[in-house]
Amino acid sequence: MPDVFSAWGAILLASMLTLATRLSGPVVMAWLPMSPRIERFLQNLSLSVLAALVATMLARGGLREAAAVAIAVLVMMLLRKSIWAMGAGMICAASWTFWIG
Amino acid sequence: MTGKCKVYLTTVMVTESSFPITLTLSGIRLGVLQLAPVALFFIPFGIAFGVVAATKGMTTVQSISFSLLAFSSSAQFSTLEFWHGAVAWGSLALAVVAINARNVVMGAALAPWVNRMPLVQRLPTVALLNDANFAVCQAAFKEGSNDMGILLGSGLILWSAWVLGAAVGALAGPFFGSPAALGFDVVMLCFLTAMVTGMVKRPLRLVPVIVGAVVAIFTLHHLPQGWNVIAGAFAGALAGSLSDA
Repeated sequence: MPDVFSAWGAILLASMLTLATRLSGPVVMAWLPMSPRIERFLQNLSLSVLAALVATMLARGGLREAAAVAIAVLVMMLLRKSIWAMGAGMICAASWTFWIG
Repeated sequence: MTGKCKVYLTTVMVTESSFPITLTLSGIRLGVLQLAPVALFFIPFGIAFGVVAATKGMTTVQSISFSLLAFSSSAQFSTLEFWHGAVAWGSLALAVVAINARNVVMGAALAPWVNRMPLVQRLPTVALLNDANFAVCQAAFKEGSNDMGILLGSGLILWSAWVLGAAVGALAGPFFGSPAALGFDVVMLCFLTAMVTGMVKRPLRLVPVIVGAVVAIFTLHHLPQGWNVIAGAFAGALAGSLSDA
């Protein structure tokens, strides 16, 4: 356990660096002149970053998480409501834990 | 000369695709309402953080302050890995930046909208940027909304839920069971999955999704924690741009 100064130091360091990552995206883009090419890249980026996040969570998880994602995709395609998709995925994961463990 | 040229280009872009950006109370309310169901499930995660932090020796005031200031489950949990007698400052800093590097990417993707707000509004709005409100807002903005209140409101509700959870966890932690039994642990996974699915409106939009996912998985064990998401994001965006051209 760190002493009280190191503890607050670590908290402030991690918080400030996190804030810096949030602020730097718009700051960097303010310096780049927008072009149709950059705009198209950013549009694709917003989709690929989410896909990469989901894929990473899936790779760290197991069959239970994969099943939840499959159900969520299916419900989203059928109903087009993200809340229903999220709920269906959660029910799937909870029942998996209950029945299979 | 280059400076002048740059100013000229920016002005042209702004006037060409100029659309008014607003930040209204009704936008904030819409953001709060849209993310309220997700925020509800942030509470158990906040609790989980408070519990783990308490067992690692973090005081209640410290874990609440940490959640208020950082508002980042991944950065906060990984900081706990460094919670020893002598803090490894360099490694801690690197880990936090790597894990949250995706914020830079998401901020850049929202920049065309965000950078049209006055600076006073821009700071609090971007300070609350996270995976969930990014997913919702960039979808809303692409569909023609110009109200940044959605981003601010959704950030505020998620932030409140996160801090509330951490407080409950730090104070009453040992009374809670595992979030996995109720499926709370897959909330973010399923929510982001739903957002991605909703965004793929034509087959070609699958290119950045598939390339991004495959590259992120294959680089997961070859890159420091967090960077595989960046690698996947850039590869996917590049592939998407090329196929869309």
